[in-house]
Amino acid sequence: MSPIQLALLATFLPLGTAFSLIVLPGVRRAGKLPGYISVVTALVALVSALQLFAYGLEVHDIARVTTQWLPHSVLGASSAAPSTIEIGVLLDGLSVSMLVVVCLVAFCVQVFSLGYMADEPPADFGRYFTWQSLFLFAMNTLVIAPNLLQLFLGWELVGLVSYLLIGYYWKKPSAARAALKAFWITKLADMGLVAGLIVLFVNTGSFNWTGTVAVAGPVTLLLFIAVMGKSAQFPLHVWLPDAMEGPTPVSALLHAATMVAAGVFLVARAHPLFEQAPNTQNFMAYVGGFTALFASIVAVVQNDIKKVLAYSTCSQLGYMVCALGAGSQVAGFFHLTTHAFFKAMLFLAAGGLIHAVHSNDIHHMGGLFRKMKLTSGAFIIGALALAGVPGFSGFFSKDLILEEVWERGLYLPFAALLIAAFLTAFYMGRVVFIALFGKPSEHAEHAHESGFAMTFPLVVLAIPALCAGYFGAELSGMYGEATHFHLSPVGMTASALGLCGIGLSYFMFGAPQGGAALRTVFAPLGRLAASGIVDKSFLFGYRTVLRGFAGGIGWFDRYIIDGLMNAIGYVTLEVGARLRPLQTGKVQDYVYVMVVATIALGTFAAFLR
Amino acid sequence: MTPTLEDLRPLSLDLALLLGAFAVLTVDLFLPHGRKRALGWLTLALLLGVFTASFFVDVSGPAFAGTYLGGPWALMWKRIALCAGALTTLASLDHVDRHFPTRQGEFYLLLLFCLTGMTILPGVRDIIPLIISFELMGIPLSVLAAYAKTEDKDGVHKHAPEAGLKLYLVSAVSTAITLFGLSLVYGMSGATKLDAIAHAQLSPLLSVGMLMTLAGLAFKIGAVPFHMWIPDTYQGAPTPVVAFLSVAPKASGFAALSAILLIAFRANQAPLASVLVLSIVASLLVGNLMALPQNDVKRMLGYSGIAQVGYMLIGLYTGTSYGVGMLLFYLTGYLVSNLGVFFVLEVVAPRRFGVDVSELDGLVRRAPWLGLALLMFLLSLAGIPFAVGFWAKFFIFMAAYRAGQTWLVLFGATMAIVSLFYYLRVARAAFMQPPATNETLQIRPALAAAIIVCLLGVVGMGLYPAPFLERAAAAAQAFLEGQG
Repeated sequence: MSPIQLALLATFLPLGTAFSLIVLPGVRRAGKLPGYISVVTALVALVSALQLFAYGLEVHDIARVTTQWLPHSVLGASSAAPSTIEIGVLLDGLSVSMLVVVCLVAFCVQVFSLGYMADEPPADFGRYFTWQSLFLFAMNTLVIAPNLLQLFLGWELVGLVSYLLIGYYWKKPSAARAALKAFWITKLADMGLVAGLIVLFVNTGSFNWTGTVAVAGPVTLLLFIAVMGKSAQFPLHVWLPDAMEGPTPVSALLHAATMVAAGVFLVARAHPLFEQAPNTQNFMAYVGGFTALFASIVAVVQNDIKKVLAYSTCSQLGYMVCALGAGSQVAGFFHLTTHAFFKAMLFLAAGGLIHAVHSNDIHHMGGLFRKMKLTSGAFIIGALALAGVPGFSGFFSKDLILEEVWERGLYLPFAALLIAAFLTAFYMGRVVFIALFGKPSEHAEHAHESGFAMTFPLVVLAIPALCAGYFGAELSGMYGEATHFHLSPVGMTASALGLCGIGLSYFMFGAPQGGAALRTVFAPLGRLAASGIVDKSFLFGYRTVLRGFAGGIGWFDRYIIDGLMNAIGYVTLEVGARLRPLQTGKVQDYVYVMVVATIALGTFAAFLR
Repeated sequence: MTPTLEDLRPLSLDLALLLGAFAVLTVDLFLPHGRKRALGWLTLALLLGVFTASFFVDVSGPAFAGTYLGGPWALMWKRIALCAGALTTLASLDHVDRHFPTRQGEFYLLLLFCLTGMTILPGVRDIIPLIISFELMGIPLSVLAAYAKTEDKDGVHKHAPEAGLKLYLVSAVSTAITLFGLSLVYGMSGATKLDAIAHAQLSPLLSVGMLMTLAGLAFKIGAVPFHMWIPDTYQGAPTPVVAFLSVAPKASGFAALSAILLIAFRANQAPLASVLVLSIVASLLVGNLMALPQNDVKRMLGYSGIAQVGYMLIGLYTGTSYGVGMLLFYLTGYLVSNLGVFFVLEVVAPRRFGVDVSELDGLVRRAPWLGLALLMFLLSLAGIPFAVGFWAKFFIFMAAYRAGQTWLVLFGATMAIVSLFYYLRVARAAFMQPPATNETLQIRPALAAAIIVCLLGVVGMGLYPAPFLERAAAAAQAFLEGQG
């Protein structure tokens, strides 16, 4: 098949599946069947994507086919050259790599869901896989879009499916609330995208991201507002932690690996536009750096394993946005790729752990390593990759980002990223040591390794999570300038900080009697250590300083930022309710208002003149 | 100039409609009780026939010495009216047959008179027939709004006469204001032809006249501050009538407003612009905010309709052929989406006047297709892609930005977010609440057909809006170039 046909297959086969499941309730309710159909669909999409990827390694710009959708005549006179609105398929290194990421993660997540969702009633099970297939279609539409308009359409559809999937447990009021919140915050941000599209189109006559644009500044800023919403950048990140109300595999697919990365993908796609707007880029770098630091601080004090991962996702998206702000499309997108693999794996592994103990709390998981070797192993690999330990995929991409940000001279964001790297290693260490190696909890008594459906995807994802980093040069060559990895002082500093973070978390949460291991390290201070002062000072440092600080930031996030978002909604509702008594129901009043209004309007018009 | 038979050619579709209405009346006289249902089908056939004929009969050109002007503009409006009428008839068939078995003939007759007014109005280029055709649309509507007066099995329903009377009284006042305004305009310009009025010298009295005309028409479309009749009337009238009521006066009102603002007052728009902006802002604000706390879906739709009018007014306010074209497109999209929602309500709560949100609980579990259709209609009204409402808002914003009204784009976009709250509240009830009863819903075939047509319109125009956009843009261009 030709590349275009492959891309269309990967996009429209899931749509066909979703549509058939919608219109054939018999199939949808037929127990496990919809799950199998959906998984096979995802597998076909994955194979097509891999085949395209193989093409992409040879030829970077594979194909661009577009067809006229809306002719010029309906778009009104434009100041620029006549144009049409097109839809089509654009296959280049960027979109092909993204296709592989999306299809691979989607496939793994769907296989995992076969096990994870097995206890759901058949009707809900079918509904779940219907939305999963629909999501794959929406996301692929976005990825292969040759212009910003089609990208936007996919973007909106993805948001809609996200709404449906977060609210999957519709009996839980918190889930319904979270779904609504996620939807309206991202929609609020999306208005930036709509406005950006309009400004771009009216001034250039097209929705393309190429070419010189006089209004690049405002357009990119407007686009970035939407990116902040979708990719959960401060202060529009508040929906992401709440979105964890959805099923865990959904969190892995949408809210860690693919949908939230769409914002980053958009910026990478529209790179030529953003390059013309250095101010927007700087703004992005600062927002990204701040989000990376902020979210990693909040992650330190979370006890809900999914919340830790959610804030971690926020933080890592901050890295990507910061890299894009530094003008490095390659670094940002490379990190998107590696992050998608290891974060999806982390979420799925976390899902396995949650499934085993029926709780999200890390303290309820204690000592699961011995009972669930495979799942725990995957989680550890993911954690190491996320912490940026040398040799794992996350290390290479994070290192590249730090270098680019440093070279661009963005020292403040750089410092933020560096601290975030330390904190990332620390909070992941904390989760690993408490949940996997900590004191066995009574909840974990009957825990046992998950079935094949829930371990197989972990193995599949572990491969790229381990080795994607070694193909940095090939991958980066596909979507930009080939970057060869080299050890730099910057990278070594970050790795050292990461290792320190892991070490610190080991002493705090992992070492047998608190700081026993510390005593051997600091042998000269043995006596001092024996008196427990070192332990205590470390514990004091953690408990009061770091925890207090993180708690404060967390409070700020929960009550001020989140509260502000809720307050906007509340005030709007309240104003609406207050306006209500104006409607009296008496016809005399209506006539009276009409006459008074006519006179008032007349006075107003006369006065203005 | 003496009128000739040739003068009737541009009006042939409207005459066919009128003759058809009399035919329905005649047939009604001879039909025995119990077989009156056939009248509905007859009306539907008539409307579809005229709609089909509109593609084959040449109705362009002036008539009666320029009092009437046929062309793409008038034709587009005629088709919109005929579609609204046909869909309403289809959806009313069972309702009328069941609840007003002895008064079926009058129902369709009133509907047809109303439609005749709607089809004539857009081509009219003289203020006197303009007002007459407007009232031809408006008066039967008040009667229809009160149609559920007594014969319901539960006895008298106080909401029904109230709804009709309110509409009638407030409408009479607004017509009086318009007429008063137009008489001032006539006094100052000495002309009744729209083109001739445009040449009048601007004077304070003319401004007052223009303003009063505008105020009266703003009532018909339900723009703030002339909106108060809407929620009460929507709540009290039979649902299929409300569906029609939510689009018909808007369509006529916008046709009249376009003709008066962009032809008669085109040279003297300055005093009106600020009033128009004020009305846009107020409509978007009041409509959206008041819709939020409503528990009654019909009232909510009434308020949200006020907000939708705010968006349509933006198109008119730009005054460009692009903006007016997009107004036409917006109206088309609004028509299918809004009719669709009301038809779904008719299925869910056929006998009730108010429909509480909770009555839609778990709709998707009771009737999956219906739930999905409702979701599409709501998404369209909220302006989410792949539904026609998205393109409508998108192009209205584009027109506003082109006309240099960037702030209106931002304001309108923000208000669109507010609208998500109340539209999604209904969707949430349908999708995320457990159903109150497990009764399966009985959907009559005619009503189902009406819903399917609306759904096809929403999705079809959402996926491929080009032909409709093209026609709307061409119609608006012809209108502003004086070709009708």
